[in-house]
Amino acid sequence: MFLRILWKLLGASRGRLAVALIALTSGAAVCSALLNVNLDAERKLTQEFRTLGANMVIAPPAAAGGEAALADAAILDRIAALRLPDLVATAPYLYVAANSGSQPVILAGTWFDQVAKMNSWWKVEGGLVSARDDREHCLVGFTAARQLGLTLGSPVQLRSGDRSVSLTVAGIVTTGGAEDNQILTDLDSAQALAGLPGGISLVQLSISGTSPEIEQAAQTLAKNLPGLDVRPIRQIAAAEGTILPRVQGLLFWTIALILVLSMLGVLASMAALAMERRRDVGLMKALGGTVQQIMRLFLAEAGTLGVLGGFLGFLVGLVLARWIGERTFGVVTSPRLAVLPITIALTVGVALAGAIPLRLLGLVRPADILRGE
Amino acid sequence: MARMVQPLVKVEQLEKRFGEVRALDRVSFEVEAGEWIAIMGPSGSGKTTLINVLGGLDRPSAGRVEVDGLEIGNLGERELTRYRADKIGFVFQQFHLVPYLTALENVMLAQYFHSITDEKEAAEALGRIGLSDRLNHVPAELSGGEQQRVAIARALINQPKLLLADEPTGNLDEANEAIVLKLLHELNESGHTILVVTHSQAIGNLADRRIELEHGRLARISAPSLAKE
Repeated sequence: MFLRILWKLLGASRGRLAVALIALTSGAAVCSALLNVNLDAERKLTQEFRTLGANMVIAPPAAAGGEAALADAAILDRIAALRLPDLVATAPYLYVAANSGSQPVILAGTWFDQVAKMNSWWKVEGGLVSARDDREHCLVGFTAARQLGLTLGSPVQLRSGDRSVSLTVAGIVTTGGAEDNQILTDLDSAQALAGLPGGISLVQLSISGTSPEIEQAAQTLAKNLPGLDVRPIRQIAAAEGTILPRVQGLLFWTIALILVLSMLGVLASMAALAMERRRDVGLMKALGGTVQQIMRLFLAEAGTLGVLGGFLGFLVGLVLARWIGERTFGVVTSPRLAVLPITIALTVGVALAGAIPLRLLGLVRPADILRGE
Repeated sequence: MARMVQPLVKVEQLEKRFGEVRALDRVSFEVEAGEWIAIMGPSGSGKTTLINVLGGLDRPSAGRVEVDGLEIGNLGERELTRYRADKIGFVFQQFHLVPYLTALENVMLAQYFHSITDEKEAAEALGRIGLSDRLNHVPAELSGGEQQRVAIARALINQPKLLLADEPTGNLDEANEAIVLKLLHELNESGHTILVVTHSQAIGNLADRRIELEHGRLARISAPSLAKE
């Protein structure tokens, strides 16, 4: 009989309940979308961060007397052998003091393909060199190009002692960092110019993950590369560690706000419904219905709306999450089934909270209602 | 030694006040099981208030009301609800059926609040009052007389000790009034105790006794059926 009355209750006030259902579905849709985005935000944001440059540096300890120490390029093979799961890019660097004509300049030999992967935010006039072992082209920092009078396609001859190398300018980069004053070549050219085959000054790594995950990777590297300093770039790791909780906090409070607004929508519908139901409640009490029996009916009605609104909202939220993901991160947000029970639970909670006016019907005095008051 | 028969309803010095207004003023009477009592009097004399107090819908301000051995003035809210479900059947002038439930479901609603529902029993109760073909009709699809008969079936489904009817024919035409009165008469004949609030002298004359109220006071108790004999 309980389900029979519940079914009739749902059918009897279709208009008002439809309004409440729309409020619940809308709220649930936004919540579901934001929860989906939230679950994906960590992954997406760390991926985004990894386009912003290296977040870890491996270098030999400074030699006595301030001499620049060199590491063996063999460490690159040891890093690769560790198969770090979140390693995005590995770029070795060898810095060489060279001359272009009579002007001194710092030459940075590196792996172009890894640099491009790690620093997609660099502003480049011309283009980045994509082949790791391109021995014909170089990238010139914006300031260095101005000082040396280099433009795109200019030939440039670099000398170090009695060794020299001839290259063509493929791109002029503006990074806002040390690279603006340097010329970037492939690693082999720099080693040949310096006469240091197999020598590197440092290795920059870009590792995806949260701050603790990056710390964990740093510990693994330090353990496996004895004698080398492994240093996470703290500012970047810290920024990542700060931004992510802030984004998640923003999503959390947005969800909370949406839920409160949905509840107000439900509250308005339920208040009108409560006025309509006063007579029924008075009658039910006169017939011997306890407050608990009557409230169970109304709360089940609100709960049913919550489940329905939560489910519909989840479906709409999937579409919304896809749209938000594309707009915000440029990728499709993956639907998460774990969001379904959370959305339904939240929506049922909102529906029950919004049903407060119906709960107040428990205070109705049957004699007043039956007298027509 | 003669065995003392306890009255089903015992009202002693009953008072009911609404603020300064004294709706019932030191009313006392008794009702034996199986009696048909008409409660009569002009508008505002306290008839409905008396029914409400007897039915546990209102609480007495003073005095004693005992129904089937239960002092209802002392009952808590939960016990009073149980009292209404177990011992009282209500019939109202406005029928007061739940509009979105069918005739059958309206009767089953009383079963639901009492204990467990029995659809067959509810259908039989409606069948006994000639509504077998109206089981699945909602109140809006029934005539006034049919609605009142559904209300009577609902009032009786839990076999209450006391049937309280407040102007049960007040909203009916003559034909339907006759049907409802015949039904009440049959119920009384089968042993039900009935208290009917009415303005109608004709209905008053059908009762075993008439309790007449004026300004909340008991004006007189008469026995029209004895006079008829």
